[in-house]
Amino acid sequence: MLCTQGQRQPYGSVVAFALSRDLRAAAFATPMTTRKYRLLSECARVALVIDNRGKHPNDMMKVEAITATGRAGQLQPGPEFDHWAGLLMARHPYLKSFVRAPSTALFRIDIVRYLYVTRFQEVRQWVPESGG
Amino acid sequence: MGSGIGWVIPLENGADCDERYIGGKAAKLAQLAHAGYRVPNGFCVTTLAYERFLEVGNLANTIRIELGRKPLESMRWEEIWDAALRIRLAFLAVPIPLDVSQTIEAALEKLSRVRAWAVRSSAPGEDSANRSFAGLHESRVGVVGNEAVLDAIRVVWASLWSDAALLYRRELSLDPTRSRMAVVIQEMIDEQPSGVAFGRDPRGTQRNQVIVEAVPGLCGDLVDGMVDPDRWILERSSGEILEWRAGDRPNDQTRDPILEIDDLNTLLQTLRNVETLLGWPPDVEWTGRAERFTLLQARPITTVDQESGDTRSWYLSLRPGERRLSSLAEQVAQELIPQLEGEGERFAAEALDSYDDKGLAAAIEERYTAVQKWRQIYLDEFIPFAHGVRHLGIYYNDAVRPEDPYEFVGLLKGQRMVASQRNQALVTLAHQLREDDALKDTVRQAVHIGNSDPAKGWQEVRAKIRALPRGEEFLREFEDLLRGHMDVAYGSDRLADRPESILKTVLEMAQAANRARQRPLDGVPADTDAKALEQRLFDAVGEDRREEATDALTIGRLSWRLRDDDNVLIGRLESQVLRALDLGANRLRAAGRLHAGAKVGIAAGPAVAEALKDVRGGPVILPAELETKHPSLTITAGETPRQLIGQPAAPGLATGRVRSVRSTEDLGHFHAGEVLVCDAIQPTMTHLVPLASAIVERRGGMLIHGAIIARELGIPCVNGVPNAVDLLHDGELVTVDGHLGIVTVGPPEFDLEGVT
Repeated sequence: MLCTQGQRQPYGSVVAFALSRDLRAAAFATPMTTRKYRLLSECARVALVIDNRGKHPNDMMKVEAITATGRAGQLQPGPEFDHWAGLLMARHPYLKSFVRAPSTALFRIDIVRYLYVTRFQEVRQWVPESGG
Repeated sequence: MGSGIGWVIPLENGADCDERYIGGKAAKLAQLAHAGYRVPNGFCVTTLAYERFLEVGNLANTIRIELGRKPLESMRWEEIWDAALRIRLAFLAVPIPLDVSQTIEAALEKLSRVRAWAVRSSAPGEDSANRSFAGLHESRVGVVGNEAVLDAIRVVWASLWSDAALLYRRELSLDPTRSRMAVVIQEMIDEQPSGVAFGRDPRGTQRNQVIVEAVPGLCGDLVDGMVDPDRWILERSSGEILEWRAGDRPNDQTRDPILEIDDLNTLLQTLRNVETLLGWPPDVEWTGRAERFTLLQARPITTVDQESGDTRSWYLSLRPGERRLSSLAEQVAQELIPQLEGEGERFAAEALDSYDDKGLAAAIEERYTAVQKWRQIYLDEFIPFAHGVRHLGIYYNDAVRPEDPYEFVGLLKGQRMVASQRNQALVTLAHQLREDDALKDTVRQAVHIGNSDPAKGWQEVRAKIRALPRGEEFLREFEDLLRGHMDVAYGSDRLADRPESILKTVLEMAQAANRARQRPLDGVPADTDAKALEQRLFDAVGEDRREEATDALTIGRLSWRLRDDDNVLIGRLESQVLRALDLGANRLRAAGRLHAGAKVGIAAGPAVAEALKDVRGGPVILPAELETKHPSLTITAGETPRQLIGQPAAPGLATGRVRSVRSTEDLGHFHAGEVLVCDAIQPTMTHLVPLASAIVERRGGMLIHGAIIARELGIPCVNGVPNAVDLLHDGELVTVDGHLGIVTVGPPEFDLEGVT
């Protein structure tokens, strides 16, 4: 779930994503005609919420969730674009034509912090910049 | 129900039923009935009914939440008990689904002539040669009326999740989430005598012997240990009586055996036949004689492993019955506590300085031996008696069915504990300082001037205070407090040796606004006090059971008070060991036989005593101090806690700065309004609690000392937080939510995200 905001209104969208190896960045794609694209052009601050409810449909205490906060910026054609597009398509091969479409924008999120939730309310925070 | 099995199966139809649906007890009874043995009429509520109940009541999620707070293997027994209490109340709060209850009631109506019922657990896999859940799941006997039967069924279902059952499953590495419970409902048989019989000796040593036990009345009296049985050991093949022992029957003048030869022969033949039928030597419960002889239960004999011991007996001790609690109440309150108190006072009154080395050595040995003795009494008597308050909790919840499973704690308010007397003395002294600015300022200046020699430093403080108009009086009362209440051990230190630390606490109390007043419990209705809750209990049980409820209240309250007192009094005794040891260690240091920095704890008692008696005077080697090891913490670089979870041990919400208390050094640094973080609050240091805005502890439990005093004072408390002392740092801002059991670390800011 990608969380964006604009006009003092938060907004949420389900997106496919890929992460860098060092977990300091992520990427997603969106059509340029979407609400979230417009919001992102106004405010770069985003959150990405990822969970594994599908693995534990009957036991909420086993569900894990991560909220990654950060800043999203659109990637322009070039080596970095190709790198991230490649990562995204490797993870989601069925989205190849979507990612490659001229009207699709590719965004990179520079992640500021992770909040990792387990056992319903246990939360740990990790800031990638501080090492590790 | 695609299996074709219904919610209920009559026992006469159960012989071919899969044990997965009716459990071991019902399956064996059905087989016995089918083979022509007399068993009480009845039926089995199947595991399918249990699953339906869980599903409709959404109880599986309740169970997962309660048992998912932390890994089961890392939960203390107290935490498992707390979770079990919540689960039990959740089970009692949910009605049995209508389709199931109607089926059960129809089955009861078919046996309409039955006056009273026995409602018993029958869990699949309950009993085998290697394990036995006997006594760990609940049963109810003498149940009258449909409503009471339905209630009893829910209690039996809930007992699948009792602390004892969960602990035993943990020990056997069984997954509790895969457990199911069927319930056997049978008419109560009013026959006598009753008893048990084993087809082989359960000790496993003499396999050609059969053991029979009998009591005059009901079998339950024997099984619960309320009546001492007559006992026979018979030679298995011939039936020869090898041994007979009469049970202890104080009111019965005759010593005649309860059973006659014919009865023993019937039992012996039954045991042989049942073994042939079921394929293993049985452990049976029976009642009646001759043509009225009835089998109540048959299960495999669980052999006691002499080497490893029967741990199940420890689990059974977690739930002492009323009789055991009453007997403990008398012994603990009338004998043991006064003895413990007296011994501590006697030791404190002795002028050890005047003793020569041999005399001091004898004093150390006497004190050391006393502490070992009382620590064992603590395990054997005080801890079992502490279950009295848990017994009250279950009793109250079963009767009243409150929303809050810990509402019963309100019944315990206002108990005059040793620790509350101490706190009152501190409050009185704090009041004196608050009323006298000159005295307060002098104390503040005096305690903050450091001195490398603590004893000298304290003399300087005394002198400054004594110089003031009301200083002498204040000092006298303060030193009375030190002698009367603070001469206790905290770890391997004596609080009385740190008067400046205690004085700092008094100063904090004086300076803090409104810290010492008692606050009402958050989340508890304004009109709820102990009397109101008491009346709620009496209304719920009715006039017939008022005496029983009064007994439960009396024992619960006494248990609550004494479980705090016994810790404080043992702390006083330990302080006397340390006092004697300090003296002895100083003499050895002066003689160059002990290193100046050597830490001398209670474990060093024998070594120090021997050294003092040893005229040859060699260097003294002390035993290493035992350290309690907790699981080590692995933290990724850059990782910090944001929300920690634990037990919601005392309701309320508070924000404050962390102050960890690890040792006596830290006690004097605690400031009013800080959040007290520690590994485990000991009753000997609960004098800090009135200053705290909240408490966070590593050790978990709704009824442990920190939780007790926090609820009394209306301070939020979250405990059972793993590695609390390592994860929370002094000065850090935390919010403690005692309603939900959450500790939130740091302010909810996006300070990093805004940086470009």
